[in-house]
Amino acid sequence: MNGKKPVIQFNDFNFHYKIQNKPTLHDINLTIYEGEKVLILGASGSGKSTLANCINGLIPFSFEGNITGSLKVNDQETRDMSIYKLSTMVGTVLQDSDAQFVGLSVGEDIAFAMENDNIPRAEMLPKVLQYSTEVGMEDYLLSLPFNLSGGQKQKVALAGVLGDSMNILIFDEPLASLDPYSGTVTIDLIDQIARNGNRTVVIIEHRLEDALYRPVDRVILMDKGRIVADTTADALLRGDLLREYGIREPLYISALKYAGCDINTIQGLDDPSTLELSDENKKKLRAFFESQADIQPPVLGEETINVDNVTFSYIKGTKAKNVLKDVSFSVKKGERIALIGKNGAGKTTLARLICGIDRPNAGIIYINGENNKALSVREIGEEIGYVMQNPNQMIVKDIIKDEVELALRLKKLPDDEVINRAENTLKTCELYRMRNWPVDAVSYGQKKRVTVASILALEPEVIILDEPTAGQDYRHYMEIINFINKLNAEFGKTIIFITHDMHLAIENTDRAVVLSESELIADESVFSVLSDDDVITRANLKQTSLYILAKKIGISPEKCIEHYILYERMVRVDE
Amino acid sequence: MNNRLLINYSPGSTPIHKLNGATKVFGFLIITVYIIMTFDVRVMLPMLILCSIGIVSMKPNWKPILLILSFLFVMAGVVGSLMIILIRPTSGYTHTGGETILIQWTNHFFISKELIWYVSAMFFKRICSLSTAILFILAITPSELAAGFNKLGMPYKICTVISLAFRTIPDIARDYIDIKNSLMMRGVELDSRKASLGKRLKQTVFILSPLIMTSFGRIGTIANAMDLRGFSKHKQRTWYSERDPTAADWVARAIILLVAAFCVYYIVYIRIMNPPPFSYWTPWGYWNG
Repeated sequence: MNGKKPVIQFNDFNFHYKIQNKPTLHDINLTIYEGEKVLILGASGSGKSTLANCINGLIPFSFEGNITGSLKVNDQETRDMSIYKLSTMVGTVLQDSDAQFVGLSVGEDIAFAMENDNIPRAEMLPKVLQYSTEVGMEDYLLSLPFNLSGGQKQKVALAGVLGDSMNILIFDEPLASLDPYSGTVTIDLIDQIARNGNRTVVIIEHRLEDALYRPVDRVILMDKGRIVADTTADALLRGDLLREYGIREPLYISALKYAGCDINTIQGLDDPSTLELSDENKKKLRAFFESQADIQPPVLGEETINVDNVTFSYIKGTKAKNVLKDVSFSVKKGERIALIGKNGAGKTTLARLICGIDRPNAGIIYINGENNKALSVREIGEEIGYVMQNPNQMIVKDIIKDEVELALRLKKLPDDEVINRAENTLKTCELYRMRNWPVDAVSYGQKKRVTVASILALEPEVIILDEPTAGQDYRHYMEIINFINKLNAEFGKTIIFITHDMHLAIENTDRAVVLSESELIADESVFSVLSDDDVITRANLKQTSLYILAKKIGISPEKCIEHYILYERMVRVDE
Repeated sequence: MNNRLLINYSPGSTPIHKLNGATKVFGFLIITVYIIMTFDVRVMLPMLILCSIGIVSMKPNWKPILLILSFLFVMAGVVGSLMIILIRPTSGYTHTGGETILIQWTNHFFISKELIWYVSAMFFKRICSLSTAILFILAITPSELAAGFNKLGMPYKICTVISLAFRTIPDIARDYIDIKNSLMMRGVELDSRKASLGKRLKQTVFILSPLIMTSFGRIGTIANAMDLRGFSKHKQRTWYSERDPTAADWVARAIILLVAAFCVYYIVYIRIMNPPPFSYWTPWGYWNG
């Protein structure tokens, strides 16, 4: 690699945001060479996004602060360049694929940089076609952003930064809002783009396993604004750094460790499909997967929600397309259920129907045996709480305590009861200490907890959580999940997760309800779902690395995944 | 999403849709001047016919159009006319110069032939303005609008902001609905059957704070995304959505120029140099006094 030309060079680089007390980046020394594909790994707050923003010029252009040391992009000092100059060399795909969609159509969005560059329309059109073909969106040039899926929007964003002079591409958490299958498509696409045209690619992620779906040349691990490792994926997987710095280990690596295999003897560790297992390790794995894990099945109460043959469409009439078709399932008290399916499969609609915001065109939804048609949204709200994905969309009041009390006050409960219930809820959610804090002063994960608390105050039986862990690193993810599991285990709340995240579904739910193209295609244990090829394809899921591992050692994937889940839960209970 | 609020997001395929953005904006401006300059039904009528043909030729979704027209009919046609008749029945005389009383209740409440003509002509003018607006909204996409205004000399930053606003309307509408739903589940009663209008208006305030928070978040991201792709790098920019003018554009522009010439003639020669004594022409004519 040393014969190559360096394109990004950090030298004793420090950065201090103007609005923060402490510097965010310390002593960064990093050189990235032409044509390299680098993964920057780190938990939230590790400074990985700040590092990327230094390269693309948002720092110091949009985010002011103090820079010391040197950062050269293509041999030019970035502080001497404008963001416009940098924007012709560094393309950035931001995390939020919806908010960065500037144009009113796919074609327009791809052309945006060219428009700003004053390129005549006649030259622009063939370029737009070329870039859109490169990402496979050439048939959608006239499509509107509102009709595209998250994955498609991301492809458009990618096409928008493929200009000829761009030799560096930065992807800021490209997987954050994608379903598992679209995530693999994106990683594949990034890989292709990196191979064609000798571009340098920098991927920022905290989801190691998904990011490694295609090989990377180097992994930079960051923590608290410093680079703590600059190595290969293989070396990183062998060490203990991942656990130490709050990065989730790939499932197959955990399985190998649980089985007692010595991973230092295994070749090709960064890819489960090429990893070489010795007979001894295979034996260990088989023994591990075939041993009996001992765990109590959850004790379930009576039925709380029953969705009976529900059909729904937003437009009435004969030619209307059904958003949900003949969906039936039931939920028992104390269960934890994952509602899975790709974007547009009807997950959110189903939740809206259960909450009474929309009403089924046919079929009945029973809540504790009562037809929910007779209940108002507010009445249902006392039985079923719905926590939205984005806490900013839910928080109304400035002070945490007021937010939690809001629903109780609206119910016109007596003052002492409001205070009592709010206090109990705040204690349950471990927010009591912060009850008088302004909502703006707390972290995203804590805000999420505030929204759960504001729902919990109404003492609902069932809590529906829409993508509770989206965009969270492993530490915050565990924080949120442990809290929700506590609500389930200690307070007997029924939990329904609407999620893309298969890790979450595997480890924290008893059953998966899978929707695809308006229909319910599976309602069974998570491990059966994850070993059913047909369901995986139809629901845009992907096989976990355990599946690949199981195939390798010739045992049934279903059994393998089941055992892993049970074992993992047992280990976590012990912890 | 297309046509749901009349706004076109993707270009249609009829001859008018295919015109270039600058032609459309230019045409709209001239037709607007045309409608504003006159109260003469004889002058307005041909334009209304042209606009109607234009609207029909675009094969629009009639539902919202009829809704708007019926709203106009009730508000301007029925309520507006009644107001004039009740409050100032002498308007007929002031604007047309004659007074042929048809029905008289008291000195202050009467209906004259001229009053009826006046309120009808007034209503007619409103229909004309609205048809022009509908024609324009149907014909243009927000991106073409931005490109068109920029071609006619408006700074491109302002134009881009206009098109961005249209880009975000559906998102904000969706946020609004999501927030409203989550609040309803927490006991904020926004159901029209269960809470009074006043109460609902008060409760709506709850929606604003999260809506503003999420919208600010969006603005921050989009501003960064635009900077990262070189927005405002140069004094000029080009437009992907600006079609090159075709033969049809030149024909349309020629027609618009003719209309513009007529406007100049009408304003200068008729309205300024030889103003009629009364602004409203009537078939039985008091114009010559």
